[in-house]
This record gives sequence, C-alpha cells and structure tokens, in this order.
Amino acid sequence: MKAFQVVNPGILTTIQDLGRWGYMKYGIPRSGAADKFSAQVANWLVGNSSQAALLEITLFRLELLALNNLEIAITGANLLPHLNGQPISMWENVHLKTGDRLVFKGRKSGLRAYLAVRGGFSGPEFLGSRSVFPRGLMGQPLQAGDILEMAEVKDEQKEKRYLPADLIPAYSHKDSLRVILGPQEDRFTPAGIKTFLSSAYRVSAQADRMGYRLEGPKIEHGRGADIISEPIVPGAIQVPGDGLPIILLWDAQVSGGYTKIASVISADLNYLAQVMPGDNLRFKEVDLAEAHEALKKEKALLQEIKKILRNP
Amino acid sequence: MQPKIKIAGDRAILVEFEDRIDPKINAQVRSLAMVLEKARLAGVQEILPAYRTLMVIYDPLEVNYKSLAAKINDGLKEAQNFELPAGKFFRLPTVYGGEFGPDLARVAQITGLLPQDVIRIFSETKFYVYFIGFICGLAYLGGLPEVLRVPRLSTPRTLVPGGSVGLAGGQANAIATDQPSGFNYIGRTFVRLYDPHIFPPVPFAAGDRIQFIAVSAEEALRAQGKWATELL
Repeated sequence: MKAFQVVNPGILTTIQDLGRWGYMKYGIPRSGAADKFSAQVANWLVGNSSQAALLEITLFRLELLALNNLEIAITGANLLPHLNGQPISMWENVHLKTGDRLVFKGRKSGLRAYLAVRGGFSGPEFLGSRSVFPRGLMGQPLQAGDILEMAEVKDEQKEKRYLPADLIPAYSHKDSLRVILGPQEDRFTPAGIKTFLSSAYRVSAQADRMGYRLEGPKIEHGRGADIISEPIVPGAIQVPGDGLPIILLWDAQVSGGYTKIASVISADLNYLAQVMPGDNLRFKEVDLAEAHEALKKEKALLQEIKKILRNP
Repeated sequence: MQPKIKIAGDRAILVEFEDRIDPKINAQVRSLAMVLEKARLAGVQEILPAYRTLMVIYDPLEVNYKSLAAKINDGLKEAQNFELPAGKFFRLPTVYGGEFGPDLARVAQITGLLPQDVIRIFSETKFYVYFIGFICGLAYLGGLPEVLRVPRLSTPRTLVPGGSVGLAGGQANAIATDQPSGFNYIGRTFVRLYDPHIFPPVPFAAGDRIQFIAVSAEEALRAQGKWATELL
C-alpha cells in the first residue's frame, strides 16, 4: 500500500528502525534511528511495534504528499511540520487524507525528527533491518519522486494518543554529556584529561550519522594518538593526532586505530542525536554504576510511556 | 603477559592481549572469541575479535559488569587449551597495473623494485586474515613482505572502486565497495567481497588466508560477480 510520494526529500531523510544487531563482527555498523527514544514513541503513538520502520528527518524542507488516508505521528526535533499550510502538533497521532501535503518548514529545536505511519514503512530489508546505510549498500536516502510503501492497514485508531507534555524531551538545556573514561585514558597526560573534562567543545559542520567532529581546546596525548586497530562502539570518543575529539555514532565504522579518551553513556546517546553543528558540549565523568542507573531509569521511563500509550 | 580486562563505555568490555600484531597473539584472541561464543552467556549481544583485543558488548540491564568480567576470565583459562579450526584458503584472480592498479608505478618507484617484481612479490604472498571490521566487511590482512612497505598517499583518493587491492604502511587490503582511501592500489579483483543480501555478508573470516593471484584482465573478469567461496 502506498503511503507517500516524496515531493522534496529535504536535506537528509532516511528510513530507519532500531538497527541491525549482531553483525559488527562482519564489519557492519548497527545503524538505526539515532534518537531511539523519539523513534519508539512515534511508533507507539500510531500503534506500531518498537521495531517498525519510520522516517528519520534531518533538518528541514522535506515535503510529502499523502497517497492514502494515513495515521501518522511526528516526534523528536521540532522541524515546524505543517499540514496543508497549517502547523500540526507533534508527539500525538494525526490523521491524514489522500492528497494532504506535509511540509517541514524550518527548525525550532533539535536536529532529527521522526515520522511513523500506522503499519510501518516497508523499505527493503537487509540483515534483519530496514535501516538505510548507503555506505554499506543498504538502501538510499529519500529522493524526489520516490513512492514510499507501507504495510497494509485495515483499521484505524479512533482515539487520540499523545505523550503528556511533561514527558516530551527538551533539547536545549542539557548541562553536559556523561562519559566513562577509557579504554585508552592512560595514553593522555593528566593535563589532557583535565582539558577534556573542563572545556566546552563546539560541534563542527562535520557532523552526520557516522559521528561528530568537535572543535575546542586540544587534548594532549602522553604517548601517541595511534593504537593497533580495535573494535569501537557508538558513543566512543576518539582523539586523533590533532587533539580534537570525534564522537562516533550509529553509522560509524566498527573498528579504528585512534586512542579513545572516553565513551558517552548509553542513556545520553538519544540526546546527542539532537545536537546541532554549532552547539556546545561539555563532558562530565561518571562511573559505571551511575551509567547503568541512568540506563535503568531511561528504560523504566520508556516502559511507563508504552503503558500510557496502551500499546499491546 | 596476562590479558587485561577493561571497561570500554557502559556496555562493552575490552580484553587486551599483548600489544603487537602477531598471528600467535591473534590466535589467542580468536580462541577466546570461540570459547565465549560457545558459552552463550546471558546478556551478551556481540563478541568482536580484532588484532590483539576482543570486545564483548552486553546489555547492562541483563548482566552486570562484574559477573560478566568473571565469566570472561574463566573463558580466558578455557581458551588456553582451545584448538582453533583451520581457516579457508582463498585464491582471488587479480589483474595488476594499468587502469586497474593506478599506484603500481608509485609503489615500484618508492621500493626501488621493478613493477613486475612488485606484482610477483605481492601476488605470491599468502595474506593472513586477522579480523573483519571497519566497514562493509573489510578484512585486515597481515603478511605483507617488508620490501613492500610504502606510505599512504599524501592526499587520499575521494573514490576508489570496490575490488581494489592495495597496500600502505605495512598493511594490505582489498576494499569491498567504492570508498575514499589513502592506500596505494596496484590491482583489482572482480570477485564479490561483500553482499548485504546474504548471510554471512562477508566470505572471509579471521584465520583464513588470501592470495591475490596475478591473471590477465580477461581471466579476472571471468570471476566477475562470483562469491569468493565459489572459487574455493
């Protein structure tokens, strides 16, 4: 069943789900929605499972034409979504009619919005996931003229589903990203570690689904920036020879040969997906127990939201 | 040296063996990987062997760090007596030089060898697959003879075609898909090295050996589109 025709693909719009897990040993990144909180909530709002494929919209100008009566939900960054010229609400289910036009006009907060459709998009599946990863020959970003297909849906949800306002994340008032030092913290001088933990770093223009290059005070190495290549996970912070950190994200290579000073904790990765080039980041050291406590809290919150949205 | 177990973020454990690239050390890494795969430990999501490290990715809500680290430690003991299976040996038809190996002349010039000697030495080498990683199933290859040690290009190429076979900094590789690279590319194979439509998406595994046999362009093209295991 046809969902949308792409009138304008915007800056970068890709189909994502929660990613492909278990293939890093074959050199394949996990990919998947960069902000998995917003992606899951969008799916639950339209009665989908957590895994359903949806659109990840980076910044503005995406324009879609509805080819059927559809039930959708938009979450994540506020990219000023408009339906037939009128602003529409985010974080709730919305009913579209055939011929409706949906446009993302600008940016109010965050970087990536998510659009779920009841039934889920049905792009090609690679290794158990529909997440688009062009470098790995697994799909392409949306192009003008594309027809987006979706699973057949018979019923529709009459009732309104929405995320209570106090649970909607804000993307502008975070003090700092929490990190766990290592595994190569011993390759930096004490002054280098101090620089990293006490300075503000600006997200450079080189920021995409692979990672963010940061600008700011140089971090001093003790004995060389290169290591024998080893596995890396999303959230890892590499510091190459130029002393400027790079935070790796979901489409990053799975192995690399630069020293890693720290890793962003899992509970802060969704927030990280919403920072913009030009934004400032600071890092705060936490221990493993605190990181796991934060992750537990995040999971509990997601379960509570799932219950509120009465998802099966 | 006793392997070290380290924290690598809040959902990964890194096991470090001796800090050098050596098939013997890599065999310890692979033995541990196989022991841990077989153990099917609760909460473990991925086990990633590399040159001299092994990463275990886990779900901290299912298993805590301490108990998993203890199980990895047990695995290290068991791995000492583990017998690794023999790897496969791939012979990939490769066309060297000309349009398929734009950096052959450069490699010859830097090493002081004749182009045909570069081809002979490279194509006779049985490269050892240390591990699969980077992107699109890149095989990290060891065994490049010292005489072929050349630096990377000072300006990386923005796009190198998939199947290109090259060398830099004492390492060799064959890239599976079109991508930017600073390696010196001296040949090309038309055998498929990566395919996300099938499982596993990569024909090679750690412990395999690969030889890039020198053939004519016609013969190399005859293998076009074949999956590397079809040539075994």
